[in-house]
Amino acid sequence: MSQSPSLHAIDSYAELDPRLALPFPKAVLPVLRNTQLRKNVAHAIDVIQAKRARLVAEKTDWQQLRSAASAIRAHALENLGAYLEQFEARCTAAGGTVHWASDAAEARQIILDLLRQENASEVIKIKTMTSAEIQLNPFLEAAGVSAFETDLAEIILQLGEQEPSHIVVPALHVNRSQVREIFARRMGLKDLSDDPQELTNAARTYLRQKFLTIPTAISGANFLIAETGSVAVVESEGNGRMCLTLPRTMITLAGIEKVLPRFQDLEVMLQVLARSATGERMNPYTSLWTGVTPGDGPQNFHVILLDNGRSAMLTRPVERQTLKCIRCAACMNACPVYRQTGGHAYGSVYPGPIGAILTPQLMQMKYAQSLPYASSLCGACYEVCPVKINIPEVLLELRSQVVNQERSQTVRFFDPMYLGLRIANLLFAKAWRFHAAQRMGRIGLRLFTSKDGWIHSLPLLGAKWTQSRDLRGLPSQNFHEWWAERGPKSSKEAK
Amino acid sequence: MSAPLQSRQTILDSIRLATLPCAQDSPDRAEAYAALPRDYVRHGQLDANARLKLMIERLREYDADVVESSPTELPAVIKAQLTASGRHSFVAPEQLPAAWLAAGFEWKTDRGLTTNEIEQAQGVVTTAFCGIADSGTIVLHHSATEGRRVLSLLPDWHLIVLRASQVVETLPEYFEQCKQPPALVTWISGPSATADIEMTRIKGVHGPRFLNVIVVRDESLLSTKADLRPAETGSAKGRKPS
Repeated sequence: MSQSPSLHAIDSYAELDPRLALPFPKAVLPVLRNTQLRKNVAHAIDVIQAKRARLVAEKTDWQQLRSAASAIRAHALENLGAYLEQFEARCTAAGGTVHWASDAAEARQIILDLLRQENASEVIKIKTMTSAEIQLNPFLEAAGVSAFETDLAEIILQLGEQEPSHIVVPALHVNRSQVREIFARRMGLKDLSDDPQELTNAARTYLRQKFLTIPTAISGANFLIAETGSVAVVESEGNGRMCLTLPRTMITLAGIEKVLPRFQDLEVMLQVLARSATGERMNPYTSLWTGVTPGDGPQNFHVILLDNGRSAMLTRPVERQTLKCIRCAACMNACPVYRQTGGHAYGSVYPGPIGAILTPQLMQMKYAQSLPYASSLCGACYEVCPVKINIPEVLLELRSQVVNQERSQTVRFFDPMYLGLRIANLLFAKAWRFHAAQRMGRIGLRLFTSKDGWIHSLPLLGAKWTQSRDLRGLPSQNFHEWWAERGPKSSKEAK
Repeated sequence: MSAPLQSRQTILDSIRLATLPCAQDSPDRAEAYAALPRDYVRHGQLDANARLKLMIERLREYDADVVESSPTELPAVIKAQLTASGRHSFVAPEQLPAAWLAAGFEWKTDRGLTTNEIEQAQGVVTTAFCGIADSGTIVLHHSATEGRRVLSLLPDWHLIVLRASQVVETLPEYFEQCKQPPALVTWISGPSATADIEMTRIKGVHGPRFLNVIVVRDESLLSTKADLRPAETGSAKGRKPS
């Protein structure tokens, strides 16, 4: 962090910095009170979900495509070193330059150095969550480089000074009248209506001149192809094609996990990605390029391969599957928790179920420990995942790591949860202790049980349960007692 | 901060260490790759006519304007489309057949046109490498008749001439044709669009707002399966329209 030109600029981005974000249960409170935001999120999610369900249902080989996609991604990760080296060799041979960055600070510095070589004071950007992960924009701004986002949703967020809340449609928490307000204020268009067509036209006009005049662009990558050294970018608006075609210099930032063995693997990935992400048979534009092509597109091309915690994730057999992710966001669209909270409460640029497993791991389990608990473990995310990441399995594994971390801390010795668990451990060890505890519990809880047999409110720690749901009162006898009383009688009847 | 070269080594070492039990040398890796499950649909079941019908239907679902033509009528159909567009200045890729450059319109052929010259054009006419019926996708490999990438990007109106014999049913069938992976590819599925505002689909953001397709029924080529595959070198390069 010490290399950053200004810590202040990065602090302003703190909301989605996992090191500074509030734990999920606290971060979620303001969101739950914001009915407008929840309405916007639920509307957007419902639309995508319905479209996705329809287009997945028409695909008779959907499960076979998922299996293939999953196997290809797993294979690429198992052989990641070899495929990255192959990508590097082929990309270099085609006129590209490959850089390697161990962490966010290094990646930011490489990008800044490249921009300085170009004397660039402005840069246009294709939407890339990886650049948000390394907090590139505030860094560039502090270094005197203006970064212009070109994806419509990203413009809305950049001009509205808001944070992304979804990885595919980052501004889904903003509705049309809020977009109108942002554009009217920042583009100086007082007569703008809230018609999405008119708002989109305003963005087109706002960016056209930037596309034609700014000679440097930054992109992410959906896929790197080892076989050919090519990069693929999947998009809808054409802002990607503009950035990939018009500038003199293109800088692509890609996580090391993005590699696919062969060009042909796209026949699987492109089929599952668009359907999962936006509920389309195919997204309007996908571009693939290989190094530099004389006379067509940028003549200087740089790829930065970013580790930033990824290679460490490879070492663990259960968690490794997190890296299969192709960032389609189907898991957050399917998640009952995300639907209620939107993305900001996750305190990371990667929200939803994938964020809940990715963020703590990228932070080496030092931050974001509340995220593995931000799930009901219902498994909807696993069911829709086009590369079959078993998110609930990884969530449980991460929860166990969090617990192991916490219970070894002396400060947690009197933590009510760990104290409770130690007591439970003691009680469950012998049957007589357990039965004695049940008898005592029955007497104690009788005070709080209403006539309908339910406990509506408990004091102290118990209130954490009863503030949002009722608890059934303990029955007057347990199974053992019931069996001892009824068992012999019923077996006689059976004869 | 470590030197970039050192980072390369650090990252690769850490990946190697993490993936050690896996196949590292290339024969094993190739074998493991070949064994990956691929039992999804590779080849479509439709006959040539049904395939073409599906392609047209899917294109229209994306709001593309599609008309059909016979090979002999093509120049006239192109002219009719240009007229109907209400536009008069067009750009053309370097080797677009001369017969397609209808008289009465202003044409600029791309022999190194500047960005501004292309930006000022109101439309563009190109060929394509392939059509994929299942998703209504048109693939450009940017040959001399498909044009440089910028050519089919800046003008607001894009007319693609697609031969029926170039249309396959599934995406894997397209990849089968690419024995040599191309260096540049653009997959186009309908005009530029966004759903970023309340998931309302809006046509036309930065790419061409109007996508027009002429499907040429080159029936003679539909007779044998082998002929369904366009030339390996890419698209209708240099081929006359009739």
